[in-house]
Amino acid sequence: MSAAIQVRKLTKSYGGHTVLNGLDFRIESGEIFALLGVNGAGKTTALECIEGLRKYDGGEICVNGKTGIQLQSSSLPAHIKPIEAVKLFAKWNKVQINSSMLDALGINEIEKKQYIQLSTGQKRRLHLALALIGDPDIIFLDELTAGLDVEGRLALHELIRRLKSQGKTIVLASHDMSEVETLCDRIAILNGGKIVFCGTASELTDKVGKKYFIHIKTQNGDSTLETDNIEDTLLSILGELKRENIHVLDIKVDRGTLEQHFIEMARRTEK
Amino acid sequence: MSGFLYGVALQWKLDMRSRSLLVTCYIVPLIFFLLMGGIFTSVMPEMKSTLIQSMIVMSVSMGAFIGLPPSLIETYGSDIKKVYAANGVPLYLGLVTMFISTFVHLMIACFIIVLLSPVLFDAFLPVNFTRFFCALAVYIIVSLSVGCILGLSVKNQAKLTMIAQLVFLPSIMLSGIMFPIGLLPDFLESIGRIFPAFWGYRLMLDNGFTLENLWYLALVFCAAVIVCGILLKKQGSQ
Repeated sequence: MSAAIQVRKLTKSYGGHTVLNGLDFRIESGEIFALLGVNGAGKTTALECIEGLRKYDGGEICVNGKTGIQLQSSSLPAHIKPIEAVKLFAKWNKVQINSSMLDALGINEIEKKQYIQLSTGQKRRLHLALALIGDPDIIFLDELTAGLDVEGRLALHELIRRLKSQGKTIVLASHDMSEVETLCDRIAILNGGKIVFCGTASELTDKVGKKYFIHIKTQNGDSTLETDNIEDTLLSILGELKRENIHVLDIKVDRGTLEQHFIEMARRTEK
Repeated sequence: MSGFLYGVALQWKLDMRSRSLLVTCYIVPLIFFLLMGGIFTSVMPEMKSTLIQSMIVMSVSMGAFIGLPPSLIETYGSDIKKVYAANGVPLYLGLVTMFISTFVHLMIACFIIVLLSPVLFDAFLPVNFTRFFCALAVYIIVSLSVGCILGLSVKNQAKLTMIAQLVFLPSIMLSGIMFPIGLLPDFLESIGRIFPAFWGYRLMLDNGFTLENLWYLALVFCAAVIVCGILLKKQGSQ
């Protein structure tokens, strides 16, 4: 696979405070990549440097392809109508409006409303439409689904998958771990201005999720157990429950959520 | 060019939808004109010869210093500028389209004043319409350029309301449109000369379109263009 984005030794400081301290990572073409980090980890700064919206002090950023950017905090003139914004941005970028993309995002349904009258979800869809106008190869989505209801979130997830199937590279910044887990091929975790992990969610699990979680539902209630030895623990619990004549109604084993692993990784790298 | 022209046309539409700009470019100046026009010409009949110019100074000052800057803050003091930058739209687009659109609105408001003044108040029309409208265009452009500095330099609407009054009130009170400039104390007359309204008013009077009245306005405009350029660059680097 070829690299859509290659970042080498990226540094950025504000005053005397170093925000990015030699960032190194690579995003492959056609993948959905998430940049994660606790507040203040530097992910927005990193994204804005890659997007070309912020100057950086040192290092190298190589972006191979046309970019489309959906910002976390976006706004448009209060009285502009969605279709007018789409036309303005299309004309300025000298591209034809892709009507099927507008249909997919439901822009035609809201074309008569003014920006000030749009709901949060409608505004997000409009800003995504603006980011997609130039038919970009690489799409940056910063907190795309924040503040949306379940239905709105699922619709946007579906759209992101469709964009991936068209070969687009998608860079996602999100606090919603279930969203990241569902959508992303790979994740990078930023902490203290450095990448402390870069790989798939299962690789992260292998790295930090050593423990197994056994969730058991019985007639006496629910309980969760943590163990490093799944086989022995399971056999022991089931044997004990049988001896006590307690019926097992349900049993699940997992290795923790991405959120737990993310917190664990952040905790470890802070030490 | 198509994107730019669409931007200008769109800004015109947005201004029409925005009540605030309609209020400052049309409603308040025209109500002021209807009230004060009657009062001025009854109390001082000799003002009939300068009524059009006086009312235009009021209207242009209102539109340029009270009307335009809030629209600029809406764009440059918010995330709109980030969306523009992120989607390949240059930062100057908002400024230029708002400038042109407000220019057209103020021209229309002034044209209404020119049309109604002789009918309602028996005011005298300018002797040379070509020179008058050239002077008017120059005055509007210079006033809007000062309004652009206000809109780009002040960060929030509350501050702007106060600072805009520091430009608007002296423009009205010290430019000679309310009472002859010779009646003012010397220091107030000197202060009045700082504001484009003083020179714009003189420029629009019959035989006033001279270099003597034009040079200061040209200087203010050039300075304003440079300042706006610096402010836009600063906005971009932020």
